[in-house]
Amino acid sequence: MPSLTAPPSLLPLYLKAAATGPLHRGGDSLPDSVYTLSDQRIDPAHLAAFQQVCGYRTSDVLPPTYLHILAFPLSVALMTEREFPFPMVGMVHVANSITLARAVRSAEQVSFTVRAADLRPHPAGRQFDLLAEATVDGEVVWTSRSTYLRRGKSTEKKDDAKRAELEPQQGAVSVLRVPGDIGRRYGGVSGDRNPIHLHNLTAKAFGFPSAIAHGMWLKARTLAALEGRLPDAYTAEVAFKLPVLLPATLSVSAAQQDDGWSLDVRGAKSGKPHLAGSVTVPAAPTSTPKDKAAATKKAPAKRAPRKKTA
Amino acid sequence: MNTRRAAIVGGNRIPFARSNGPYAHASNQDMLTATLDGLVARFGLQNERLGEVAAGAVLKHSRDFNLTRESVLGSRLSAETPAYDVQQACGTGLETTILVANKIELGQIESGVAAGVDTTSDAPIAVNEDLRAVLLEANRAKSVGARLKALAKIRPQQLVPSIPVNSEPRTGMSMGEHQAITTIEWGITREAQDELAAASHQHLAAAYDRGFLDDLITPYLGLSRDQNLRADSSVEKLGKLSPAFGKAFGDEATMTAGNSTPLTDGAAAVLLASDEWAAQHKLPVLAYFVDAETAAVDYVHGDRKEDGLLMAPVYAMPRLLQRNKLSFDDFDFIEIHEAFAGTVLATLNAWEDDDFCRRRLGLDGALGSVDRAKLNVNGSSLAAGHPFAATGGRIVASLAKMLHDNGGGRGLISICAAGGQGVVAILEA
Amino acid sequence: MSDRYLNLVNSPLGSAVASRVGLPQPAKLRRYAGGDPLLPGPALLGATGGKPAAALRKLLTGAGAEVVDTLGEGERVAAAVLDARSVAAPADLGALRDFLAPAVKGLQANGRVLVLGRLPDGKSVTADATRQALDGIVRSLAKELRRGATANLLWVENEASLGAALRFFLSGKSAYVDGQPVVLGAGTAPDPTDWDQPLAGKTALVTGAARGIGAAIAGVLARDGAKVIAADLTQAGETLAKVANRLGGSALHLDVAAADAPPRLLDHLAAHTDGLDILIHNAGITRDKLMANMKPEQWDSVLAVNLESQLRINDALLGSDQLNPQARVVCLSSTTGLSGNRGQTNYGATKAGVIGLVRSSAAAFAKHGASTINAIAPGFIDTEMTAKMPLATREVARRLSSLQQAGLPIDVAEATAWLASPGAGGVNGQVLRVCGQNLVGA
Repeated sequence: MPSLTAPPSLLPLYLKAAATGPLHRGGDSLPDSVYTLSDQRIDPAHLAAFQQVCGYRTSDVLPPTYLHILAFPLSVALMTEREFPFPMVGMVHVANSITLARAVRSAEQVSFTVRAADLRPHPAGRQFDLLAEATVDGEVVWTSRSTYLRRGKSTEKKDDAKRAELEPQQGAVSVLRVPGDIGRRYGGVSGDRNPIHLHNLTAKAFGFPSAIAHGMWLKARTLAALEGRLPDAYTAEVAFKLPVLLPATLSVSAAQQDDGWSLDVRGAKSGKPHLAGSVTVPAAPTSTPKDKAAATKKAPAKRAPRKKTA
Repeated sequence: MNTRRAAIVGGNRIPFARSNGPYAHASNQDMLTATLDGLVARFGLQNERLGEVAAGAVLKHSRDFNLTRESVLGSRLSAETPAYDVQQACGTGLETTILVANKIELGQIESGVAAGVDTTSDAPIAVNEDLRAVLLEANRAKSVGARLKALAKIRPQQLVPSIPVNSEPRTGMSMGEHQAITTIEWGITREAQDELAAASHQHLAAAYDRGFLDDLITPYLGLSRDQNLRADSSVEKLGKLSPAFGKAFGDEATMTAGNSTPLTDGAAAVLLASDEWAAQHKLPVLAYFVDAETAAVDYVHGDRKEDGLLMAPVYAMPRLLQRNKLSFDDFDFIEIHEAFAGTVLATLNAWEDDDFCRRRLGLDGALGSVDRAKLNVNGSSLAAGHPFAATGGRIVASLAKMLHDNGGGRGLISICAAGGQGVVAILEA
Repeated sequence: MSDRYLNLVNSPLGSAVASRVGLPQPAKLRRYAGGDPLLPGPALLGATGGKPAAALRKLLTGAGAEVVDTLGEGERVAAAVLDARSVAAPADLGALRDFLAPAVKGLQANGRVLVLGRLPDGKSVTADATRQALDGIVRSLAKELRRGATANLLWVENEASLGAALRFFLSGKSAYVDGQPVVLGAGTAPDPTDWDQPLAGKTALVTGAARGIGAAIAGVLARDGAKVIAADLTQAGETLAKVANRLGGSALHLDVAAADAPPRLLDHLAAHTDGLDILIHNAGITRDKLMANMKPEQWDSVLAVNLESQLRINDALLGSDQLNPQARVVCLSSTTGLSGNRGQTNYGATKAGVIGLVRSSAAAFAKHGASTINAIAPGFIDTEMTAKMPLATREVARRLSSLQQAGLPIDVAEATAWLASPGAGGVNGQVLRVCGQNLVGA
């Protein structure tokens, strides 16, 4: 099992991925390698840069997706293993779920393990999970499950029902203006310099009309909008829908639910879905009594029917 | 604790100008100083050391860190008058009144000025965020080499300045876009909005004509009436305008430039004092400040309809009325700031909504209806314009005068503010 | 508005040229500045029919004058004061010549000739003819005097107001009052405790105070110690505030022609003052048109602002408890009201009307705690209004007076402040011209 004390350098891995792409021949099993990276110190300047790009305030508390980018080189190393069934280039990140057990602070030294699991069919091909775990002194503080899709033949039928018209976004919505260079900015802090995110030209080379935003940036930005409202422990689970073509104006809905929040990001004009998910807060036995305002909170939002007068 | 009453002695404002109009070259400090000087002239306060001047602006240059104090130093007031800046968006002018009144009531000061000013013409423009980062890094560099290295990071695109946008930082939507949602959610019609707007213009024009504003205004830079005022405004004329906000809602969009306040430049100030100070200075008292309440709503994550950006006064009002054991019927005049006609109408609708008032305001039923004959009887922001921080002072001074002219009575003020906030207050004479 | 011609002929080269080619040579007038002595030199005192009265000498020395009784060869005086109250027959007038001929020769630049007389009283034709002759002497002498010197006549019926009158006419405050008679009658005219602050403790209201003559009046009243309420239209509020702030007064937005102006004024006085002591009706407008082209609105607006407002406000004040005893009202008239002016039938109506108002209401004001009401008729005064006149017209108009120059707003203000002072209590129902003895309407 590869056991590292410093994160692997990404550039050689990318070159390796590009060069060895064709050698990954599919196959029906994932390698059972477990990558570990021990006792990482947090660089405050890097953390601040990440927080800024993702819309978090500067703080010593690590955003949940920050731990994701620290673990990311391990994932790349795993996916560029010779035994890995798919070439890394061309894989689509379709979902990510992070569970934060408690707040992790920048003074702590964090260790990571990453492994692949659960290769299974997807309507558009096959999918698998990359499971990452962060520990501090042996205590699991953070786990992440990223689901990747390898397009191809599928054994599962497409569910046409999913194509049905979407419900309107819930609750109050915000408008998020995403600048054209967000891919380069996030690539700079995350190390994920996939060419589809960096520039319109490089994105076009891979068949996109323009550069697209990183899914994990969008997740981070959406969670950052809930700043100050999330507890220390929660699960944030999102599915990435259509890619966000840059620059973009998005409509973000984060509506409060009984057990947390629902997340729903769409194109502000197009209405096309980009991200959907939820934040689930575990029922905390020691939670403080809610304040009066919250106690008198109304029933789930009623929506006035939207009439279209033709 | 013993408290006493805070008297409203009077006010002064400059006529409000449309953005990039007559005041295009006037800074916040210029306008605030002129407004203070007009107040000094009206009440003979030359070289008077007041307890304090509290004022603020919503759009402020970094150089104006001490805007109010600098304005006092440039005015005819004694240079020994202390001052401080306050910012609560469009609630600033009323909030400064509350602050000064509270200090007078506690006996901490004898007199004070509450004011507000805003310019959208002379708005601050910031350097590009990236350029700012580079410049700050260069500034932190300890050696010439390090400084040059930092400065070498400047890129041409960073030289594009960053112009302030009139949008809520957390939602990315302008006030108008927010209100467009609220307007639709509360089912406010285009006709109702245009009627309110036309009434505002007609009322303000009539107030000017009968000299009501003579001792509330001091002309500035050649302007002696609010520039936005259209005495001949009518529902028919307003009905011809196309929607300006909420265009995404297609045919449902009802908010036009006519039933929304335009960007405006201006300033307003109110003179408050203890009864003793007013008597010593032979200044008559127009009205007294009674009480105030501030509320805020979660417009970011709350309910689309009930937690609209400008709905906070809806929540503040029952708390204020209950504390003072009063209902709408106990008031002679009710001033609801017309950020948009839709804001006023949605606010009125909410107070009349039995279900809403039970669920969200914790009441036994609807808070009540506001008698339209008491509402904004001398016009409001739709006609006068709305230089954000100046609106509170405009309303306080004019309501105090109405109560005085009425020979007594009670008046209610409701002002919505950016950030989902609302300030409401009671005056009486 | 600076008088370039005046400045030019007072330069060495300009003066030489003007004197050779016979151009008018207006002098730089001696105007009062704070702290100035009453006179820059001695005052020659004389009397017809005997020695000057001791009381008169005392008033002069009390006012700070150095009094001399004779004028030696080559000596010069700043003023010549002749008490001619004793003249009763034409032969007595020779004494005036005896006194004035050498006095005029020895008069300094900006000198003052002041003749005291007694009004004809209808008891004796000879005496009345002789007394009236003083008026002709003074008016003619005023036209002869050069270098800014003036001559004026005081009809002294009662000496109560004489001290304040002497102080006004001998000082630089009367610089542009020339060839004018004033009646000093009976009245209450107490001396102020401080002659530098004769209006201390008084509340004054000046209409039309935002600019020009009104602003100057407000300034002088404030200088003399009054608490000034500067009133003007709301539209003039920006400059009005500056005026009020400069002189430490307060600004009041008031349209004197508005129907509710009198009650609003009374309300303001009741709320903000302990009653009004001084009212200066200065607000006025012009809407010049030849009668053939005069529109009703041009006619009506001038009448409303310049005359009707004064009538209504005076009535309201007299009928209220807001006008203090020994109040002083000064109404701004104009030489147009005395002599007429082309294109100003409406304006002339109001300015003549004001004179009628003052004369007719003097008794009512006297009854109101010995109050007074007088009018000031300014001649050609350099203001923003005259600055708009065509150059040639303005230049000619400026030279048409004995002082060969236009007056300044301050000249009108000083005269107003004197009439507004407690010491002028014996002056009532009169019209004082501040015109440099303008040829028009004399």
